[in-house]
Amino acid sequence: MTTPLLDITGDVCPMTFVKVKMGLQRIGPAGKLNVRLKGEALKNVISSLKTEGHRIAGVEKEGELFLLEVEKKHE
Amino acid sequence: MNEADYKELKKGGMMRQAEAGFFSVRLHVVGGRLDTKRLRAIHDAAVRFGRGEVHLTTRQGVEIPNVRQDSLASLKEFLAPSGVGVGVCGPTVRTVTACQGCKVCPSGVIDSPELADAVDREFYGRPVPHKFKVGISGCINNCMKAEENDAGIKGWIEPRWVGSPCTFCGVCQAVCPTKAITTSSDGDALIVDAERCIGCGDCIACCPSGGMGEKSRGYRLFAGGKFGRMPFLGKKILGVLGTKEEALAAISAVLEFFRAHGKPRERFGDTLQRTGFPALETYVKETTGLP
Ligand code: SF4
Ligand code: SF4
Ligand code: SF4
Repeated sequence: MTTPLLDITGDVCPMTFVKVKMGLQRIGPAGKLNVRLKGEALKNVISSLKTEGHRIAGVEKEGELFLLEVEKKHE
Repeated sequence: MNEADYKELKKGGMMRQAEAGFFSVRLHVVGGRLDTKRLRAIHDAAVRFGRGEVHLTTRQGVEIPNVRQDSLASLKEFLAPSGVGVGVCGPTVRTVTACQGCKVCPSGVIDSPELADAVDREFYGRPVPHKFKVGISGCINNCMKAEENDAGIKGWIEPRWVGSPCTFCGVCQAVCPTKAITTSSDGDALIVDAERCIGCGDCIACCPSGGMGEKSRGYRLFAGGKFGRMPFLGKKILGVLGTKEEALAAISAVLEFFRAHGKPRERFGDTLQRTGFPALETYVKETTGLP
């Protein structure tokens, strides 16, 4: 199964995080979600994800953009 | 009443009003915190001795205006049992301001009210060449405007790049608000520029791998700031101070330096313009042994 991709490069805080949260709701525990976002959204998205117990399993830089591989928390 | 008597009254927190025979009475408040018992006493005092109103000062204090000169002593007596003291004015260490700090604010790094109480206990009302203000912000968001104070404190998180878990993903560099993180010339290490770093800790909070860790967290001291006619922003001195005791020792040494070098009626920032900041920093380091 390919990991779903969520593109939030056109969104601003707090929609960025809301969309990531909704994206994670659609997948099961320990499932993966790829998120493409702009540098300025990184701080809020990553720190909220970490606080909620999810893991950033991978990061790829695409020029000015970032592609995060988010692993939903286990349970 | 002659000018000398007015000066004495002013030192004791009684400010002569434009309206003859009336005073605005400054109360002793630390970091803007008042329990309801003290609030009620202030309310009752304002009704009884003033015109039923209080003034909230810019530095989190409370004044009761419109008190007749002949009621000053009884007002003081009336407030005493509730624990509300009368404030200070003149060339002294003034009201200590503070935000709610880490016990209340989710962004907080240090317990601002705890430090404010300690600074107040140690230094409030102590004589200095000119008024001396201390303000404490619990974190780098700096709600209490540390740099506008003669001595300002900010909660601070100092990062350290740990190495091995780092995947060089670039997140820390992208989130750093001051672009303090650079890649070494051979590309195998990250360097945090301590001068540029503002101690926000965002790089640590966002690092996915644990490659960016916390070196220290604590109190960062800014000296020589002021507002008023000729504003000036205080400058950072010393390293990150790890404990409340270290912060107190540093402030104590700063006050000693001011007493030794300040001219009467010269604000600390102006003293530092004459002596230079390095002289202060050297003195504080030598007398306290702090980093
Ligand atoms: S300075 Fe920081 S800790 Fe204090 S109130 Fe502002 S955000 Fe909260
Ligand atoms: S965020 Fe962490 S893993 Fe990524 S480059 Fe910075 S220290 Fe390395
Ligand atoms: S603590 Fe803040 S300012 Fe300092 S390097 Fe990290 S992100 Fe940059």
